[in-house]
Amino acid sequence: MSHTIVVDNVHKRFGAVQALRGLSLQVEQGEIYGLLGPNGAGKSTLLRTIVGIHPPDSGSVTLLGETIPDKDILARVGYMTQSSALYNELTVWQNVAFFAGIMGCSDKEAIRDAIAFVDLAERADSRIGTLSGGMRQRVSLASVLAHQPEVILLDEPTVGVDPQLRVQFWEHFRKMTDQGITLVVSSHVMDEAERCDRLGFVRNGQLIAEGTANSMRERASTNDLEQAFLFFAEQWGDENHNGL
Amino acid sequence: MDFKRIRSLALRVIYQMLGDRRTLALIVFVPIILLTLLSVLIEADESQVNIAVVNSDRGIAMGSNEVNLGQRLLTVLDDNDMLDVKSMSLDDANNKLEEGEIDAVIIVAEDFTQQVVQTQSLELTVRYEGSNPAIAENLDEIFERSALMVANTLVATQSGPGTTPVSFEREMETSLNTSYLHGGPEYDSLDFLAPALIGFFVFLFVFILTSISFLRERVAGTLERLLATPIRSHEVIIGYMMGFLIFGLIQGAVTLLFTVFVIDINYTGNLLNVFLVEILLVIVSVNLGIFLSTFAQNEFQVLQFLPLIVVTQGVLGGVVWQVENMPEWLQPLSQVMPLTYATDALREVMLKGANLLDVAVSLLILLAFGVGAIVLSAWSVRQARI
Repeated sequence: MSHTIVVDNVHKRFGAVQALRGLSLQVEQGEIYGLLGPNGAGKSTLLRTIVGIHPPDSGSVTLLGETIPDKDILARVGYMTQSSALYNELTVWQNVAFFAGIMGCSDKEAIRDAIAFVDLAERADSRIGTLSGGMRQRVSLASVLAHQPEVILLDEPTVGVDPQLRVQFWEHFRKMTDQGITLVVSSHVMDEAERCDRLGFVRNGQLIAEGTANSMRERASTNDLEQAFLFFAEQWGDENHNGL
Repeated sequence: MDFKRIRSLALRVIYQMLGDRRTLALIVFVPIILLTLLSVLIEADESQVNIAVVNSDRGIAMGSNEVNLGQRLLTVLDDNDMLDVKSMSLDDANNKLEEGEIDAVIIVAEDFTQQVVQTQSLELTVRYEGSNPAIAENLDEIFERSALMVANTLVATQSGPGTTPVSFEREMETSLNTSYLHGGPEYDSLDFLAPALIGFFVFLFVFILTSISFLRERVAGTLERLLATPIRSHEVIIGYMMGFLIFGLIQGAVTLLFTVFVIDINYTGNLLNVFLVEILLVIVSVNLGIFLSTFAQNEFQVLQFLPLIVVTQGVLGGVVWQVENMPEWLQPLSQVMPLTYATDALREVMLKGANLLDVAVSLLILLAFGVGAIVLSAWSVRQARI
């Protein structure tokens, strides 16, 4: 069986900043893959590279069997940016319908479901400008779901979302993987990492460790994921003297 | 090319505009208010100039006739439709001049007629209120012409023996045979300005709306999201053009109907041709807006493009001052501005009743500007991958 996402030795540089340094990873269908790392580690750049916004300088990305950049494959992908990128003058419905429409989905039922999914059915006709930050984040999520993507990339989806809703989000994510949908979620919150099937620790544009939360802790001989991250960061630094 | 995606984008632009009532009101009412003001001002500008004549001329006896050229001058000036002439004393005239009630005083000396007959020279004293130099300039000409006209009547009057016939170097025609190739005496400067302004407003507002919309798209991160969808950059551009074309044409239609039916300007020609020019103008404006917004980080920086791009075109694009009357070194600058060709085509259509073939050159040049602007905006959309 082929992998849903294959990132192979990807380098990406922006001016003086080397954002990705030979990063490789594979994501399997139906799993939740968590990208963990501090701010500026390269998580967002990696997600953008996977959807083809930043084509890699070297190396390659394969998404659903197609080599990126491939515009058409993006209709089967949902990408939620870090900040809720929405049109403030438009209503919740208009935003979700617009992004669905661009993806080739004009099914009103699907749009309604997506809005109900994030518990905003009653605010469907409210303008984004009148919503709270958490609500916007939910609209942002709904707008990557309506066209029923097979792969969903979420860049820090739960930032600014209250704990109760965060729990709901993760329940939703789990339901989606049950339907065979693949999720890649970036986060710098360690307790969210527990909910992922597999984790990738990212630091300095490199993947420094990969595995389930439990295996990471075991390998680092600690009970704490944060400690585990620091352990791998140090180990990586020792092996590669060009560390930080 | 996927028309569904283009449609989604165009609809989104339209919903965004409809959701922003104030902007919607702005694009419709601002041109109407400005045009109304302009029509009022132009009409007022063409109203009469108030002048006072202080006639102290004693005249002279010529044979059995009493000749008073001062009196004749008063009559001639009074016949001039552009002037509202009142005869009064010097003191009154000076007071009124000071109060700004009158624009000029002509003082005719006691020996005016005598001077003319004896020295064959005209001497009048004119005092201007002077705060509007344009009035003084116009009046100078009128006064000179009127005085010459009066002096020349003397030639006809002189018939007695022993008197020297008086003639003046500059004989003035007393009647002109006037005819108009285009327009007519009822056309005023508003009829000249309105077609150009209809184009200018569309250009201005579509430019503002597009550049700010596209800037927001970039800053809010929605452009980044669009890049992660199947939509192609040319589809984004076409969608934008279609969305804003609708509002450009609505604005064009509103201003056109308003100027034609409410302000009641004079025009000839097929008004539908106006819309073709407007379509081309919107294409230029949308793409220029997208392109230039790439160089702005915020709304304030977008506004900095207005004086640079829009006002210069308003000044040099032939809206108020015709390009062919500009200094030669300035004309090439006008010729690289799209608005120049839109202005020209709109005027040809509305003032001269030109058909599309007559203005084909201007339209083609405008189209070329449109294609160039599309190339630039396509480049900037591709550049947008932050």
